[in-house]
Amino acid sequence: MRGNGYAQIGDYAVIGDGRTAALVARDGSIDWLCLPDFDSPSVFGAILDAERGGAFSLRPVERFEAERAYLEGSNVLATTFRTETGTVRLLDAMTLSPAGRLAPMREIVRRVECIDGFVEVEWAVEPRFDYGQACGRTVERAGRRMFTHGSTALILSVWGAEQGASGRARLAAGESVLFSLASAHHQPALLPGRADTEERLEHTRAFWRRWSSQAQYDGPWRDEVLRSALVLKLLVFAPSGAIVAAPTTSLPEVIGGGRNWDYRYAWIRDATYALDALLNLGYHDEAHAFFWWLMHASRLTQPRMRVLYSIDGGGKAHEQELGHLSGHRDSAPVRVGNAAGTQLQLDLYGSVFNSIWLHARSHGDLGAETGRGTAKIADFVTRTWREPDSGIWEVRSELRHFVHSKAMCWAALDRACRLAEADMIPDRRDRWRAAADEIRNWVETEGWDEDLRAYIRASDLRELDASILTLPLVEYAGDRSRLDSTIDAVRSRLGNGPLLYRYLGEDGVPGDEGAFTTCSFWLVDALARVGRVDEAADLMDELAPLANDVGLFAEEIDPSTAEQLGNFPQALVHLALVNAAFSLEQAGKRR
Amino acid sequence: MTLVGALAGGFVGTVVLTTGLRLAQIAGLTRMDIPLLLGTAFTASRSRASAIGYVLHFLNGQIFALAYWAIFVAVDQAGWLFGGVLGVVHAAFAGGALVNILLPAVHPRMGSRWTDASQTPLLEPPGFMLWNYGRHTALVTMLGHIAYGSIVGGFSAGL
Repeated sequence: MRGNGYAQIGDYAVIGDGRTAALVARDGSIDWLCLPDFDSPSVFGAILDAERGGAFSLRPVERFEAERAYLEGSNVLATTFRTETGTVRLLDAMTLSPAGRLAPMREIVRRVECIDGFVEVEWAVEPRFDYGQACGRTVERAGRRMFTHGSTALILSVWGAEQGASGRARLAAGESVLFSLASAHHQPALLPGRADTEERLEHTRAFWRRWSSQAQYDGPWRDEVLRSALVLKLLVFAPSGAIVAAPTTSLPEVIGGGRNWDYRYAWIRDATYALDALLNLGYHDEAHAFFWWLMHASRLTQPRMRVLYSIDGGGKAHEQELGHLSGHRDSAPVRVGNAAGTQLQLDLYGSVFNSIWLHARSHGDLGAETGRGTAKIADFVTRTWREPDSGIWEVRSELRHFVHSKAMCWAALDRACRLAEADMIPDRRDRWRAAADEIRNWVETEGWDEDLRAYIRASDLRELDASILTLPLVEYAGDRSRLDSTIDAVRSRLGNGPLLYRYLGEDGVPGDEGAFTTCSFWLVDALARVGRVDEAADLMDELAPLANDVGLFAEEIDPSTAEQLGNFPQALVHLALVNAAFSLEQAGKRR
Repeated sequence: MTLVGALAGGFVGTVVLTTGLRLAQIAGLTRMDIPLLLGTAFTASRSRASAIGYVLHFLNGQIFALAYWAIFVAVDQAGWLFGGVLGVVHAAFAGGALVNILLPAVHPRMGSRWTDASQTPLLEPPGFMLWNYGRHTALVTMLGHIAYGSIVGGFSAGL
């Protein structure tokens, strides 16, 4: 199950509480947890360094086989271990607090219950604070084990077995052991009791079931869409409404490679996909909160927008390497922070304006101040679109005139005109429409290659780029036959089975990478939108089973082994999945 | 030392504080917007929230002016300088506790460090010394409150 101490990325499942998330391996070990928030340093980081990262393991002593599933409609994970002598079921969750009750600031609850026969289980809680740099102090408080480092404290409570950071318990059918790992930060620790811990676990399960039952999708990919919705909700940082791209850093895009990035930030380019998905699913509150987070976070830099923001709305994302960690399966370096934050990426303006348009259409009001700010951003796009940029893929090579970036600038100005027409922002349509026409002319001449019969990557790169598949998604006013032939060209030259590489050319970073899963769902979406519904549905059927056993996708997949690669689970993939499913549903209705 | 002077100083001081924060917003130094923060406790409409928030902010200015005046009377001293010193304390209290802890605790639409996935707030929490609203927010808030305190102190002393 493990090689050199590491589980594969696809062997993990995620649990979370809307502030941080933990990754639980198939063998019951929690190998990733940052506290108190997504972007805080890790206390369990064995996924990035099996020796010094720290973990909370819990598994049968004897040889076992494991099977996993989330409890229906929830983010409560159930792992069933079968041994020769019996079966135990492990429930894992990060608890949510019932209103008005005193509860730990963050808490992981694990309940292992023997279902039949008898099974001896063992556990070991080994936190390593500050990304594995500190063991902290271990003390006893009220008969429980407490791990402290600086102003952080972890309190381990065990019921049904002896208290201890590690131990064993022999369980017969009907017996159970309950663990609570609660944390406190800058505050006194709370010592939970067994009854209220059980109550929080049940409250958490009930909340998730209630929340997921509100999803408005009944199509053929309901299970996949529902799981994606639940993952996305886990990736929303509840205090601010920001959506992290993934809860992890530096999970490699190829094993042993150096393309390892920190995704614990909110990317502006994800905004349009997030709004579209949340509104389609009927989660208007989450969509509304995310939109206002986006507008608040960018307020200091408007009309220029940063590529990414920290989850508390700040713009700082200083990138550094953590040399003391070996990296997932020796994939070094491990990075925290993200240097892409300082890049110029023009495509994000298309995403922002499409988000504003989606929000305004849904809520019918932007407010005068936001309207004025939006018009200024549109003016900024008219001045800036001619500049070369780093593009959607955040290349670290020289700046170029990426065709996708220009097309997204067109989308930005087109949406600005729609907003002005609806009287939601100051009307400067003459200026914006003229610039939009100029951009479209550039895309159709500089961005089209007659030999390839496709829109290309950049004006000086006569190669293909799967990001072009988003043109139908943002309703780019291109010629239908050109969109059709571009889709075919991308699929033929970048495809590997149902998967797509995002591009095959250079990007300023050494090393290879897997197929970019999001691009495949964009392909489904694009096919559905241009009316090739059967092709789109067939592709969706091929893609859905590529998720791991609990329905989660990492950023990439190795086409030769189907192994999940990159940060996990990734919001953009699940957003693209949801939007593709809705596009298919809408295209089916149009037929 | 007069109560009327303190109240008048509270009004003028609030005008200066509010204007200063607004200018700092426009200059891109901070996302801090006190009227919006206060008003959204009562309505989700941004325009109505700002209007309600301005009224509440000026009422708060009067309440704090009364507190300043009580201190001036207690120590039998008032003036621009002493008012400014109280302004430093006032800003530290506002950033460290009032807006950072107390406001998220009672604000129905604001997140806090305790907000979990079962809630969907519309406003991000300010954070310690309001740093979530921009790195310069603490400085801008401090200067604004020093100005407020100095004006209340000066007006109270009849200068």
